[in-house]
Amino acid sequence: MKASRLTRNVLFVYGILMIAFLYLPLVSVGFASVSQARYLSFPIRRYSTKWYGEAFESSTVSELLLTSLSVAVVVTIVSLVFAFFGALAFARYQWRFRNVFQKLILLPIFFPQTVLGLALLMWFNSLGIIPTWKTAVVAHLVWITPIATLIVAIRAYSFDPALEEAARDMGAGTLTVLREITLPLLMPGLVSAGLFAFLLSWGNFPLSLFTTGADSTLPEWLYAKMVSGYSPLVPTLGIMSVVGSFLLILFAFALVWLMRANKEARTAQD
Amino acid sequence: MNSSPFLSLRGVVKSFGNFTALDRIDLDIKEGEFFTIVGPSGSGKSTLIRLLVGMDDLTSGEIRLRDQRIDDTPANKRPTCMVFQSLALFPHMTVGQNIEFPLKLRKEVPDRRRARALELLDLLRLPQSYYDKRISQCSGGERQRVALARALAFDPEILFFDEPLSALDYRLRKTLEKELKDLHARTGKTFVYITHSLEEAMVMSDRIAIMKRGKIEQISVADEIYGAPVSRFVAEFMGEVNLFDVTVAADGSVSSDVLSSRSGVKLVPAGEEARGLLMVRPEYVGFADTADAFDFTMSGPLHGEYALGSRIQYEIETPAGMVTVEKLREDRRTVSEGETMTVGFNVENTHFIDEAS
Repeated sequence: MKASRLTRNVLFVYGILMIAFLYLPLVSVGFASVSQARYLSFPIRRYSTKWYGEAFESSTVSELLLTSLSVAVVVTIVSLVFAFFGALAFARYQWRFRNVFQKLILLPIFFPQTVLGLALLMWFNSLGIIPTWKTAVVAHLVWITPIATLIVAIRAYSFDPALEEAARDMGAGTLTVLREITLPLLMPGLVSAGLFAFLLSWGNFPLSLFTTGADSTLPEWLYAKMVSGYSPLVPTLGIMSVVGSFLLILFAFALVWLMRANKEARTAQD
Repeated sequence: MNSSPFLSLRGVVKSFGNFTALDRIDLDIKEGEFFTIVGPSGSGKSTLIRLLVGMDDLTSGEIRLRDQRIDDTPANKRPTCMVFQSLALFPHMTVGQNIEFPLKLRKEVPDRRRARALELLDLLRLPQSYYDKRISQCSGGERQRVALARALAFDPEILFFDEPLSALDYRLRKTLEKELKDLHARTGKTFVYITHSLEEAMVMSDRIAIMKRGKIEQISVADEIYGAPVSRFVAEFMGEVNLFDVTVAADGSVSSDVLSSRSGVKLVPAGEEARGLLMVRPEYVGFADTADAFDFTMSGPLHGEYALGSRIQYEIETPAGMVTVEKLREDRRTVSEGETMTVGFNVENTHFIDEAS
């Protein structure tokens, strides 16, 4: 069925409005970051990139970025390992407690993150662990691993178990099956799960607030500076964070594209 | 060909909890044979093939290949290979990579792998250009051939098939049935094929085993299973059939409450009295134009007439029950529903199923 001209026009305008509604606030942050004035006021009188320069030179900023990056990278790697095996247990294998597992694993997503953060903080305290960015990694994992697992599980559901059986039947051992069949087939799921894990950790505020202790991640710092001691460094770092995320997504696409191209090249010469 | 059994099963049992999926299966398959196991869903045929390739463990019993026990050998160490119902072609590999997969596992050098894959493409009548195609670019029939090529690349002692044609349309299935039979002849390999389709079994097989609820009912060549089934189940499974309750006396004379026969009609004497079923296939039932045209005669109103393409089927409601008659289209009769018809058959076209045995 083809939509009428009127419908299409209405939908077009509606779409534009939605996008504007969603992204205009971000644009205003962008403007704030290039204002030379110390306090934000529209219209901006003098544009300047001085805050970006300061951000790049500031040791606080590089420390913040390093902390956020460390947390996000570790969370991504660990959650992917859990997600890979968890998704196989979730979607592929019949075992006694599968039903319980499928429900339990969703539980952390349903807790408000502030409650989860508080609970974890109290838990760390009672164990006598001093919170640092490493405890934040644990906290992020509690919340992010289920999401990563679900993303990989969706891929695992569309997986014909006969593929592994066939490989085995032709002489492949358990590790070979994993390397040659299971892993490559789950790869698209793993790439998107990794991307999600990184971005969710990178942008997470409530869990980090409770569990980083003396360390500070980028979102935490942004919040602290909003509450007291605002400077245009806040929107500047905000924009840098968004651009960083965006670059990561581009990088992931490039990676997938490269893998595909590489495979085709290998096929051609094989 | 070897005279001692090639693949032999003795007392093979497989249970899942309280449910016995396979109940003491004994079976011998000869080298180079095209052996088909037929049965309705739930008869245990898929369970059996999974045991044979090593994907499940048996509860008890033993499987021997060339007199060596293989039931403890895991699937990846057995010299057998299976073509799956879903074909299980690896979607992330090309046609060539799929075919070479078993060779790669054996650490064959790329040049020899490629040469063998191209050879197999030829054997399966696929153009060599398919080597670089993706699986998603192949049609159903082409995928079937790729799966076969891959299994042959493995060079198994026995090639197993788990209903690989069931998802294809009729015409393609017919073509591939013939190709499989031809491939069997050219490769000389032992094929063990599983299907629920009797037609598929009859077209291709040297011998057929009929399974019912975890047991083998009958093993024989197609003609014998069709013409001389051992039970009502086999008779009915092998297509349309007319069965009548009869008692056969020691001298072979037939008596029945429902069937009247010409005097002096006798079956091959069994030596003692037996109760059972007298079977006649619909193509052997004819229209009786004269009173004594057949050994057995019955009449009743026509219940229905069905066109089956090259053949026409008539159902006649007789005192002996519904009798099915099948005629070639060229022998079609113009009759209307409800019209009384007299039909009959001769004793030499019947088969007696002794229900006591």
